[in-house]
Amino acid sequence: MAELTATKTRGNAMRGSRVVSNFALATLCAIAFVLVIAPLADILWLVFERGARAMSWTLFTQVTNGISGGLLNAIEGTLVLSCGAVLFAAPVGVAAGIYLAEYGVSHWGRSVRFLCDVLVGVPSIVLGYFSYVTLVIGLGWQFSALAGAITLAVLVVPYIARFTELAMRQNPAALREAAYALGCREHQVVLRVLLPAARSGVLTGILLSFAISVGETAPLIYTAGWSNYLWSGRLTHEPIGYLTYVIWSFINQPFASAHALAYAAAFLVIMVVLAINVLARRLLKPSALA
Amino acid sequence: MNPFRLSLQALATLIPLALLAIFVFLTAYSWPAIHFNGVRFLFSSTWNLGNLYADPVVRDGYSIAVGAQYGIAVFIVGTLASSVIALLIAIPVGIGVALFLSEYAPRRMLSVLSQIAELLAMVPSVVYGLWGLQVLAPIVLRDISPVVSRTLGFIPFFSGPATSGYNLLTAGLVLALMVVPVISSTLIEAMQRVPTDVRESCFALGATRAEMIGKILLPMVRTPLIGAAILALGRALGETMAVLMVSGGALNYLPSTIFSPITSMAAFIASQLDSALQDPSGMAVRSLAEIALVLLVIAVIVNVIARLLTYQVRGARHG
Amino acid sequence: MTSSYRQIRLRKTVAIAGFVTLTAAAAFSANAQAAQTSLLETGSTLLYPLFNLWVPAYTNAHPDIKITTQGTGSGTGIAQAISGVAQVGASDAYMSNGQIKQSPSILNIPLAISAQTINYNVPGLNNVHLKLDGPVLAGIYSGSIKNWNDAQIKALNPKVNLPDHAIVPIHRTDGSGDTFIFSQYLSSSTPSWSNSVGYGTTISWPAVQGGVGANGNPGMVQASQQTPYSIAYIGVSFHDQISKAGLGTAMLKNKAGNFVLPTKKTVNAAASAMNGKTPADERLSLVFAPGADSYPIINYEYAIVNAKQADATTATALRNLLDWAVSPTGGNSAKYLDQVRFVPLPAKIAALSKAQIAKIQ
Repeated sequence: MAELTATKTRGNAMRGSRVVSNFALATLCAIAFVLVIAPLADILWLVFERGARAMSWTLFTQVTNGISGGLLNAIEGTLVLSCGAVLFAAPVGVAAGIYLAEYGVSHWGRSVRFLCDVLVGVPSIVLGYFSYVTLVIGLGWQFSALAGAITLAVLVVPYIARFTELAMRQNPAALREAAYALGCREHQVVLRVLLPAARSGVLTGILLSFAISVGETAPLIYTAGWSNYLWSGRLTHEPIGYLTYVIWSFINQPFASAHALAYAAAFLVIMVVLAINVLARRLLKPSALA
Repeated sequence: MNPFRLSLQALATLIPLALLAIFVFLTAYSWPAIHFNGVRFLFSSTWNLGNLYADPVVRDGYSIAVGAQYGIAVFIVGTLASSVIALLIAIPVGIGVALFLSEYAPRRMLSVLSQIAELLAMVPSVVYGLWGLQVLAPIVLRDISPVVSRTLGFIPFFSGPATSGYNLLTAGLVLALMVVPVISSTLIEAMQRVPTDVRESCFALGATRAEMIGKILLPMVRTPLIGAAILALGRALGETMAVLMVSGGALNYLPSTIFSPITSMAAFIASQLDSALQDPSGMAVRSLAEIALVLLVIAVIVNVIARLLTYQVRGARHG
Repeated sequence: MTSSYRQIRLRKTVAIAGFVTLTAAAAFSANAQAAQTSLLETGSTLLYPLFNLWVPAYTNAHPDIKITTQGTGSGTGIAQAISGVAQVGASDAYMSNGQIKQSPSILNIPLAISAQTINYNVPGLNNVHLKLDGPVLAGIYSGSIKNWNDAQIKALNPKVNLPDHAIVPIHRTDGSGDTFIFSQYLSSSTPSWSNSVGYGTTISWPAVQGGVGANGNPGMVQASQQTPYSIAYIGVSFHDQISKAGLGTAMLKNKAGNFVLPTKKTVNAAASAMNGKTPADERLSLVFAPGADSYPIINYEYAIVNAKQADATTATALRNLLDWAVSPTGGNSAKYLDQVRFVPLPAKIAALSKAQIAKIQ
C-alpha cells in the first residue's frame, strides 16, 4: 500500500497512467457485461418472436396433441422432474457441502471434493444411458418419472455441494467460535448459525441446479421418455413429458405449428425458471442485500 | 464421532458412490471394447461402424461388424479445443461481468442486474443450440471469420476464411456463453462477502477503483474463482446438445484451423447412440461407452491439473 | 429466534405445503380417469410427423386408447421394440439378417412410403434443376469431385454455367434414415462407394475439405441455406421449408438412365415397380428401383413390432391401430400423407402388411 501513497507525490506522469488504467478497467467490465447481455436479449427475442404464434391460454390448458395443442403435460412434467431432482439432490448436496467446508481438510474430504468436480464433467447423455441400463431396463422401471428425477439429481448434486461449500467457507471464523462460546452443540452451530449465514450462497447453488435441470434434454430422453398426457402420479412404469423434449423434437418436424410450439416451450422454460428464482429469493431473503 | 458428523459424512459419500457406480458400469460394459480397441482407440482418427447390415465377423476373438474400426482422436481434440476456447473467453468475461455488477453498477440495481445475468443459466442448452444455429453461425461466417482471418491470419491456426458457420469457433463461443454464469454468479457472491471496509480502506489510502480491484479484491476471491473455473470446465466438457447443433460434425479428420468443424465426445455419443444400437454384435454401443469412460478420465485429469494449480496458488500466498 | 426468522420459517412452510398440495391435487386428479390401454411409439424422425398426424385423429375416434409418440431415431425404435419398452418402433430401415436372427419374433411392417430430395445452394442456379447422378454424388461426398464446375458435373449439365467454387457437402451427424437411403443410392449406383463406405444410418463419411455435418432435417435445410455452394440430402416432408429457403432441387438419374424430379408420379412409379419384388416379410430396399419414371431414392417406412405382446388387450389395440394406419380410408389416405408428402402403400403391399399385422398376439 505504501507504493500507492508514494506515487501521489510523484506528479502527473504517474497519475495519468493510473487514471487511464482505471478508466480502461471500467470500460472493459462494461464491455463484458454488454457481451453477455446482448446475446441473452437476442436469444429471448428469438424465442419470444417465434413462439408468439403459439402463445395463448390454451398452452396452459391443453396437452400436446401430436404436432400442436398445448403444453400442459410438458409444463407439469418439467416441474415434477426438476422439483423431484432438487428434492433428492438438495439434502445430499447441502450435507456434502457442509461436510466439505467444516471437515473437508482431511484426506477423505479432499477426495470427495475432487470427485464432486469430476462428476460435473460427466456428460448428461452418459448419465442418461447409465440410468437407462440400470434403472429403466435393469430394475424394470421402464420410462418413468422416478428414473428421470434421479438422473437429474445426480447431474446437479455436485453444483449444490460446491456452492454450499464455497458459501460456508466464506463464513468468518468468529461466527463459529461465537456459537460454540454460547454453548451450542455441533449440529446447532452448523444448522442454526453457519448454514443460515451462508444461505444466499446455498440458495444460489440450489436455484442454479434447478435451472440446469429444467434445461436438460439428453438424460431425460432415455429415462423419462415422453408422454402426451398428464402425469398420472405413478413414479414408475409411466413415461412423463417435459418441455425440453418439445423443443428438441418439435423443432425437427416439418410443421410450422410444431415449430411455434417448440419456441413457446423454450420461452416457457426460461420464464418458469425465472419465476421460481424470483419467488424463492423473495420468500427466503428478507434482507435488503441481494 | 458424533452422529451429526457421521450422518453428514454418509450423505456426502453418496456423491463419490454415484461416480463410482458410473465408473464401474462404464468399465464393465465397455470392457470388450477396451480389449478389442486397444491403445489405438485414442490415437486413430478413423471411426467406422462398419456394415451393420451384414453378419458380424469375428476378429481378435470378438464379434464385430464387418469393417468396423473405432478411433476417437478427432473427438478428443474437438472436446479439448472447444472447452479450452470456451474457458479462455468465459473467464475474463465472467470476471468482467462480476466486477461490473458488484463494483461499478449502482447498488440498488444489483439484484435486478444479477438476476438478468443469471438468466443465461436458465436458458436450456437446446435453445443455445437453436440460437447458435440460426443467429451465431451466420454471424461467424459473414462477419467474425473475415475479421479474425485478416488480423490473426499470419498464425496458421487462424488462417483462411471459414466455408461455413459450423465450426470450432462457433462451438467455443456458444460454450463460453453457457459457462459464463457459473463463473460470474460465484464471483458476485464471493465479492459481496468481502466486507466493505476493505474497499473503503483502499480508497482512503488513495487507490483508484482499478487498483483496489486488481491488488486487493481479486486476490481475495482467487479461490472461489478457481473453483468456479473448474466447475465451468466440467460443464464445457460434458455439454452435449448445444455443441451437437453448431459444431459441424467432423468425422475422420482433425481440425486444422479455428474454422474447421469439430465434434466433441459428448455430442458424438448423443448423435451416434441411436445408430450404435443397430449393431447386432453390440460392439458399437460398447465403444460409445468406452468414449464415455475416456471422457470421465479426461475430467479426472483436468481436475488433477486444476488442483495442482490451486495448491500452488495457496502455497504462494502463504509462502 | 428473532421475529424475522420466524417469518421466514412460516413463509417457507406455507410455500412448501402449498406446493405439495398443488402437486398432489394435480397428480390425483389426473389419476381419476377410466382405465385405458397405453401404447408407446418411438423411433424414426421421418415417420414421427406422420404419427403425430395420425394419433389425434385415431384417439378421437377411439377414446379408450392412449398413444404416445416419440421421435428418437430408427435404432432406438428397433431397440425399444425388441426390449418391450415400446409397442411400436418406427424405423426407416428394415432389420438386418443378424438382428432378425437375434429376435425372430419381430415384424417389419411398412406403413407408408417416403422419398428424399437432393438440394443445393448455388448462387444463381437455385431455380435451375441441376442433373446429378449417383457416381457424381459419391464423388462429391468422398472428395474426389471438389468443384462445382468439375468435368463430371459439366458432362451432365452441358448448358448450365457452373461456377468455379468449392462444393460444401453437408451430411447428417445424427443416425438417420435419410443417411440410410442416401447411402444406399450411392452404394447401388457406384461400386467404389459400395466397396469403401457402404450404407447405414450412420456411415464413416470420408474426410472432405470443408464438409459439414448438420443435425436433423431442419438442420440440413438451415445449413444449406446459410452456406453458399453447399449440397445436402433432405427428406421429402420438408419440401415447404426447402422452397422457403430458396434451395435448388436436383434431377436424379434413375436405374433406367433417365433424370427425374421427385414428384408423386415418379415416387409412385418406383413403388409399383418394386411391388412384385417385395417378399412376405417385407424387408426390401426400394432405392434405385427399375422403371423409366422411377425416382431413385424412396423407401418403406416401417413399424417394428414384436409379434408377442405383453397381453391380449395391448395386442388387439395394436392390431387395430396398425390396420387403420395401412388402410386407404384410414392412415394411408391423402388427408394425412399429403401433409408429409409421403405416398400410400400400393394395394399389394398393404395386403402383405395386413397379413403381418394379423400375426400380432
